[in-house]
This record gives sequence, C-alpha cells and structure tokens, in this order.
Amino acid sequence: MSTYETFVGLEIHIHLSTKSKMFCSCPAHFGEEPNSNVCPVCMGWPGVLPQVNGRAMEMGYLVSRALGCELSGKTLFARKNYFYPDMPKNYQISQFADPVGVNGRIEFPLSSGGTKSVRIHDCHLEEDAGKMIHAGDLTLLDYNRAGVPLLEIVTEPDLCSGEEAEDFLRYFQRLVRYLDVCDGNMEEGSLRCDANVSINVPGAGLGRKVEVKNLNSSRFVRLALEYEVERHAKVLDSGGTIIQETRLWNENRDMTIAMRSKENSHDYRYFPEPDLPPFMPDKAFLSRVEAELVELPLARKTRFTGEWGLAEDQAEAMHESREKADYFERAAGLALERAPDAKVTGGTAPEAAVANASTAASVATAVAAWISGDLTKECRRRGMEVWSCPMTPNRLAELVTLLAEERIHSKIAKQLVGAVLDRDEGPESIIKAEGLEQISTREALEPIVRRVLEANGEIAERVRSGDSGKKEYLIGRVMAETSGRASPALLRTLMDELL
Amino acid sequence: MDHAELMLTAELAAIRLKDGELERLGVEVDRMLEYFDVMDSVDVSSFEPTTHASGQCVSLRPDVPSEGDVALAAGGRDAASIESMLDQAGDLEGRLIVIPNVL
Amino acid sequence: MTADMQRWRELLASPAEYTEYLKARDRDVGACLEIRVSGHEGPLVDAGSPPSGSLAGLPFAVKNNIAVKGWRLTCGSKLLSEVVAPYTATAVGRLVDAGAVVVATTNLDEFGMGSSTDNSALARTNNPRDLSRVAGGSSGGSAAAVAAGEVPFALGTDTGGSVRQPAAFCGVYGLKPTYGAVSRFGLTAYASSLETIGVLASSPDLAERVFETMRARDPRDQTSVERPAEESGDARSDAFGGTSVRRVAALRVGEGLSPEVSDVYRDSIRAMRECGIEVDEIDIPSLEYAVPAYYTIAAAEASANLARFNGIRYGIRPFHSDSPQDLIMDARSDGLGAEVKLRIMLGTFVLRSGFQEQYYEKAQRIRTRIGRDMDSVFAAYGALLSPVFPTPAFVHGDSSMDAFAQRLADKFTVTANLAGIPALSFPAGVRGGLPVGLQLHAPAFAERRLFDLMRSLAERFPALPCGGPVDKGGAL
Repeated sequence: MSTYETFVGLEIHIHLSTKSKMFCSCPAHFGEEPNSNVCPVCMGWPGVLPQVNGRAMEMGYLVSRALGCELSGKTLFARKNYFYPDMPKNYQISQFADPVGVNGRIEFPLSSGGTKSVRIHDCHLEEDAGKMIHAGDLTLLDYNRAGVPLLEIVTEPDLCSGEEAEDFLRYFQRLVRYLDVCDGNMEEGSLRCDANVSINVPGAGLGRKVEVKNLNSSRFVRLALEYEVERHAKVLDSGGTIIQETRLWNENRDMTIAMRSKENSHDYRYFPEPDLPPFMPDKAFLSRVEAELVELPLARKTRFTGEWGLAEDQAEAMHESREKADYFERAAGLALERAPDAKVTGGTAPEAAVANASTAASVATAVAAWISGDLTKECRRRGMEVWSCPMTPNRLAELVTLLAEERIHSKIAKQLVGAVLDRDEGPESIIKAEGLEQISTREALEPIVRRVLEANGEIAERVRSGDSGKKEYLIGRVMAETSGRASPALLRTLMDELL
Repeated sequence: MDHAELMLTAELAAIRLKDGELERLGVEVDRMLEYFDVMDSVDVSSFEPTTHASGQCVSLRPDVPSEGDVALAAGGRDAASIESMLDQAGDLEGRLIVIPNVL
Repeated sequence: MTADMQRWRELLASPAEYTEYLKARDRDVGACLEIRVSGHEGPLVDAGSPPSGSLAGLPFAVKNNIAVKGWRLTCGSKLLSEVVAPYTATAVGRLVDAGAVVVATTNLDEFGMGSSTDNSALARTNNPRDLSRVAGGSSGGSAAAVAAGEVPFALGTDTGGSVRQPAAFCGVYGLKPTYGAVSRFGLTAYASSLETIGVLASSPDLAERVFETMRARDPRDQTSVERPAEESGDARSDAFGGTSVRRVAALRVGEGLSPEVSDVYRDSIRAMRECGIEVDEIDIPSLEYAVPAYYTIAAAEASANLARFNGIRYGIRPFHSDSPQDLIMDARSDGLGAEVKLRIMLGTFVLRSGFQEQYYEKAQRIRTRIGRDMDSVFAAYGALLSPVFPTPAFVHGDSSMDAFAQRLADKFTVTANLAGIPALSFPAGVRGGLPVGLQLHAPAFAERRLFDLMRSLAERFPALPCGGPVDKGGAL
C-alpha cells in the first residue's frame, strides 16, 4: 500500500442551551409529550414569521470568538431549500453568505502529545428540524425539536487522521462546556458531527472527498475515518477513483455504507432570508460577548502546569471542567495566601502563583491531590459535586494549610473531609470543637511517650533488644492515648530516642 | 428549459407533473423565461441587489420561553391553539403525526 | 361620513338582519367564502352608545389569506380548503381591539397569484358593477364586498397590485401601504419582500383610518418598521405631515391603454391641473424592466414560501400514499392550481445554482435601480400619478386577457411593490358603466400625503356609491 496524505474536515452541529427556540419562544427543551412545545411558527403554519433569539445570537458570537474567528459586523440569515418530512417549512433558516464568524483557528491537544492547530472555515446559526420515529411501516413526527437553535462549526480539512479528529472533537466538547453554550453530549445528540475525508499522494493537495454521517461518538469518528482511509487507499492502489458520495457509519458492522444516492444531488438554492433583516452587533453586544469569553481548556491546563506547577496528570484532572478548574484555582489561591512563606503580591491568584513558584507548586499539588482523592470520593458518596459542596475553596484551603502547618496530620485530615461535608462547618471550627489538633511539640508529647513506655516496660525491653515489630504496637498505644492526635513523625522520633 | 431541466426543477419543487401537464407547463415556463431575458439588455452592475426591503436591522428577542397556559396575543401559543393545530394533521397517533415510513 | 358609519353600526347591532342582508347582496357577487355575523343572540354592539374607538362597531371582511383565529384560512386553494387558522394576524387583531368586527372572509386568486380572482379553486366572484366581469385580483373578493355594499371596508394583500387593481375594477379605494408599515404576521406569504396587507374601502377617510389603526411595529414581523417621527416645524419639508402637494408627476404612457382608460387618464390630468396642481408627464425608463424583475423575485420567494404546503401538518392529503415523498408530491400536485405550479416552477428555476445570478440577483439589482429612480422622482414631485391597469374590468374568460397578458399588464402596479412605497388607487371615472381607477404613489411613509391629496381633489374625483352597478346608484 502506497503512502497517502489524509485530509479530514469536520462539520459539527451543537444544540445551543437556550431556554427558547431559535425563531419563536417555544421552550427549547424536549423529552416531554410529543408536539407540546410547538406553536404556529415552528410548525410552519401559513402566515408565520421568525423572530431571532438574542441569547442564541450571543452564543454564536461567543463560540466564534473563542475559535478565533473574525466576527461579522453584519450577519445575515439565508434559506436553505429542500423537502423532508421533518422540516416544517421545507426550508431551513440558516446562514450562508455572511455567517457570524469566519476564518478562525484553534489549538487543541493531541493524545499522542503536543498540540495542533486547525483552521475554522466558519460558524453559522441555524434551526433544527423535527424528529422522526420509525415504527413499522409508519413514520411518526414530533416537532418539539423543530426550531431549536443550532450552531454549525465547519473546519478546514486540516486534520490528518481519525485519531486527530477524535482528539479535536473531544477538545471541542470540553470547549463548548467551558463556554456553557452546550452540554456537548454526542450520545444524546446535543453535539453531532459529520466528517469529510479524502486522501491523495503527498504534495498533490486534497483528494476526492467522501462525507461520513451517523457518527454518535468521538470514538466512532475515529473508527469511521480509519475505515474510510483504508477503503480509499485500496481503491486508489488498484487504480480506481473514489466516488464522491455520502456514507453512513454502521456501528454494528464497523464499516461505512453508501447512502441511497437520492440525498446526494441537492441544490439548496440558498438566498437571503427576506423575513430577517441583517443583524449588526453594537458595542454593547460585543462587550457582553467578550465578558463571557473564558480561558479555554488548553490555556487553562497550560497555566496549571506552568504557573501552578502541577504534574501533567493532575493538571488534566483539575481542568476537566470549568467548574472544577475554577474551584481548584480558587482553593489553591487561598491556600497560597495562607502559606507561611508566601510573598504577598496583592494581585490575582495566578499572579501570586508566579511570584511564589515553589510554594505555589507544593500548595497546588496538595490541593489537587485532595480534590482528586478524598474530596471526590466523599462527594460522590453523598451525591454532591465538588464545586458546589460544603467544602468551599476557602475551607479546602484551610484544610490544606492546617496540614502544612502540621496542626493536624493526614489521617485526621481525611476524617475532616467527610465531617465538613456532613456538618457544613469549616475544618478549623471542627477541630476546635472536637479537640483534634495534632500534638506536635516535644513538651506535649514526650511525657505521654514516657508514660506508655513505662506502662509497657516488658515490650519496651523487647524492642530495645531487637524486636522491632513490637514498636508499631507501642506507637499504636501512644496514638490511642492521644486519640490519634499525636504527630506521627514526632512520635516516631521520640520513640526511637527514648527506646 | 429542456425536458430534463423541467423534470429536475419539478423534483426540486416536489411537484409531480402528469404528461399533458408537463407539456403545457413547459411551454408557459419557457414563455416566461424568454420574457425574463429582457433583463439582459440593461446594465445594472453598479447597483447592489436589494436583499432586504425595509432597510433596517433585526431586533433580538429575549430568551424567555412562553408557557403553555399563557396565550400569546397574536402568536397563538396556547393550549387551545396547539390542540387545534394537531387536530388538523391528516393522521395522528396519540400526539404524533403519522406518515408512511421514510425508509 | 359619520352618518354612513352610524348606519353600519346599526346594521351590525342586529346580527340576524345583517346576515340576511350580507347573503342577499353576495348571492350574485360571490365575494365571500365564509359569512359569520357572530353566533350569539343579542346585538354585537350597542348601537346607541358612543363608539369607544374610531372603528368601533364597524363590520369588515378579510381576504382569505390573512389569518383570523377560528375561521378557515383557505388562501383560495383546494389544498387548504379545510384549514382553520389557530391564530389571528396582528393587523386584524389591532382592528378588532379597536372595536371593528370580522363578519366575512373573502375570495381571492389562489395564494394571491392572479389579476381576476378567477384563479380561486373554491368560488367565483363577479364584479358588482357588471356581473359578467371579473372583480380583479388577487383581492377581488374584498374589493367586490366593499363595492357591493356588503361591508364598509375590507382587508386585502398587495404583492404586485392585488389591492389596487381590484379597487380600480370595482370602483372603490385601495391602499397599498409602505412596505413594513403594517405587520405581515398572519399574512400567508407569497412574496415576502414585496407584499403588504392593504385596505379596500368606500371612502379615502375610512381607508386612512383603517390604515392608521393597523399600522405598528410588530416584533413578530422583523421587517415591520416603527412609524417615523413626524417632522414638525418646517413647513417646506413637506414630510408626511401632509402639507399640500403642488407638483405631481404623471407617468407618460404611449400605447397599450384601452380607450376607456386612456380617456380617463387624460381627463384626470386635466382635472388636476384645473385644481391648481402642476402635472408633468415624465418617463421612467427603468420601469420597462419592472415586470420581469417583479415576477422573478416574486416567483423565487413564492417557491420557498409555498414549500411548507405538503399535506403533512395540515391541509388535504391523499387518502393513501406509499411513501412520504409520494404523499408530498400528490398533496401538492392535486391541491395546487396551475398558476401556482407555474410560479413555483419558475421560482425554483431562477434560484437554481448556475441561474441565480442571471435571474434572481439581476432582478434585485434592477429593483434597486427602480427604487433610486423613484427617489429622484419624489425629489422633484410630491406624488406620481399613473394608470392601474391597461383596461377596465374584463369579462370572465376573456381570451385576449389570458394569463400571460394579465401578467404583463401588471406593469403599472409592480413598481410600488419593488420600491416599497405606498400607492392609493381611486375611482377616477366611469366609462360604459365600468369604473376606471388611477393611482397615486408617494415616498415611503407618506400615506398621509396621498389621503390629503385625495381629500383636496374630492370634488373632481368623488367616491362611487357602493351597492351595485354604478348607473343604478346604490344607497344602502
């Protein structure tokens, strides 16, 4: 098999999480009784006209901005004309000549390491069609979904493999969740992806492309593209030409199958939607959009490893969602403020982190470890989310600081996590109430050790004469005496000294 | 428009033409298209196409969903209107509109 | 005027009587598709008490492509012959809020496509002035209902002359407002960028009152426009505060007018001059391309607007179909008339890739040019006078007025739609028992100017009595 270059472009549709539909004020959520969130507008009755959802427009601009697109100063809707039973008007109001964003570029992490950039051709708004349910020799139509806002993102064919496409898609899912415009769920259909793929001899540019549909997960995107690339290669190797067509991924048979050609010859006859004049964003609108732009996941993670000194896997875990990342960073920032040797900068948490590199790293690592470990475990047990549980960032910072100051030790700290969640109280106040502070001074601990050794003279003798196994028993006795508050490190030191 | 063009246009328009109709319509379409050719004789390249007739910008609708029991004055989204719309669908199964199977 | 309106209110106050009256008047005319003067027993309005709104207690009819909740919305089409509107058009709602009452829906050319109302799949409407003739179209039913004295005013729609031409044929007033002045929400779309809801009325004052009540910016119609603030203070600016029009341009028309229309046109120009108005005959060369441009744009938009009619969600669907494609094809093929199919085919074609630039885009550029040319006219003149149609009302089935000829005859009316400007069609004379109408155009939002001009010419251009043939008069 010769080597070919692979070119993959993706067309991604996301359901914008607005409350009402794109062109009417029917509720945008579905999953209720069929044909109940409908009105004459989204049912395509005679005489109705569209009214643009402002929040959807904002989200369209926001995503375009996040993807580095040029934002349109005068965006226009267009009619895309075709007949299909789930279409209320038999044209879709979409965008064609002047979409909300064009010519973007977005960097994303590769699972094989490093990052890659992909160009965005455009982002455009449109409305969804209704849903068809097949039942025997009937098809049933539910228009609850008709008119729900969609944003379509079209990439240039810059992706070079199924794996890259999968990586991009997974990053994109995270990105739209960060922006809070879509839940990014492919299985439920909030995010849909079609792929265009072609191969060619290196240096010859794009090949004849095939469109692949029915990809319900990022994994299927990778598998389908790998299948296609192999199929194309076989065809070209044997001297044939690729038929430009649309193919469907069949997940049961792990292959793509050509769609019946009827669907392929569409002349959509796009023309500007006469019922909707242009939208020209003003300064206030653009400011609102800008205010909603958050730090993108890749940048966030880079900062976590860079400024906060987190290890790769910790940074990955901490930036998994924006809520978690915000939680982590807030807690780390507060913990840094409390750290004894921190320089006060009076700036933001990230600025403080940079100014106190090594302290920041140890603080952040500790905070991250607690979040991924016990906090997640205890939250899950109680059906809570880390970022909205009673362990506020401030309280977590308190916990981590108490530990760093050796006022408690780790076993107590673990218990405290559950206690904070159950009692909705801060760690400081709980340890005061329960008297859990670690005994960590010689003056306080030495008498207790002596006492235990005296009370267990025989065992002490045995340890002195070489039976080190019994030392644990003695340590355990001291722990019991102190209700677990003895500082383990100091205890061992004293034990060794006195024995 | 030759026969093939006519058939393709009819297909795009979801209109089925019986034989006699096809002839007749073809003649009338051709007559109109020929008449449209008058437009070729004027140079209007210095004018932008009028894409929107009222010369203003769209105003955005706040993202507020309407509730089922609140009647929108002219928009007609109330429970009675939804029922009266559904009742007029040719074939219903519960609340779902029925058509022959697509596949 | 007030006495007239009082008589209508009294009629409406006795529903049973009024229903009889309506049906009697409409028996030979056939303007109405549905007549419903309320179901309840007592009077709709208390005829004795003073009216709260200016239109309070007045009955009116609505062209059947405009939605009125609970009434059938047939659009003159077999496909929609059983459809009942689940909502009311904004413009109708505003009139009802002002106290007017819908008593009938009127016949029309199917989906607004035609100049006779004979393209209706459901009924035949005859011109009240001469029952052997058409009432004009596509708002023939509304024009006939007013001319027959059935209602004082009715709503129509004007896409390429469909309010003004039937008004001219029936001898009543027909206003096509500025594009965007009246909400289109509820108007079954034919050509979205060209059409408006218009008024047919027995007098210009009433037409104006109805228009002023209906007009409003409606968020549901994003092409509807806020009423511009009237410029005050500067008498010279003659903004739409209606200071008198001194100079009127009259479109120079060489051949192509029937003797009756030509005669009335000459007479009218002369009459205006005698009233102290300066009338100059002018040429507007770009109007030569107005009709092909109009039909290209209208057909294109119609092909998309009518795509929703496929029998699935509402409307007549075939008894049995093997597939959804068959269902859609059969519903449309059986349910749509020939003229409608033709325009859909044309419209689909001119939008096809490879042809769109040459046809649709070209037509839109011509439209821009026509708009600019009209701006130039109005820079020098207060109004533009022109014929409405080359002939008076023609006989049903007149072979010299076949479909193609009718389309070409739209040449006087399509200009106002392409330019988005208001135009008022008025009875300018009677020849051989047939009314001949002319129209005045004004710049966008200058409707008031049109009515002021009409009022100032009232003596030379009086309204025709509404109640039947003109020679027989026709007091109520």
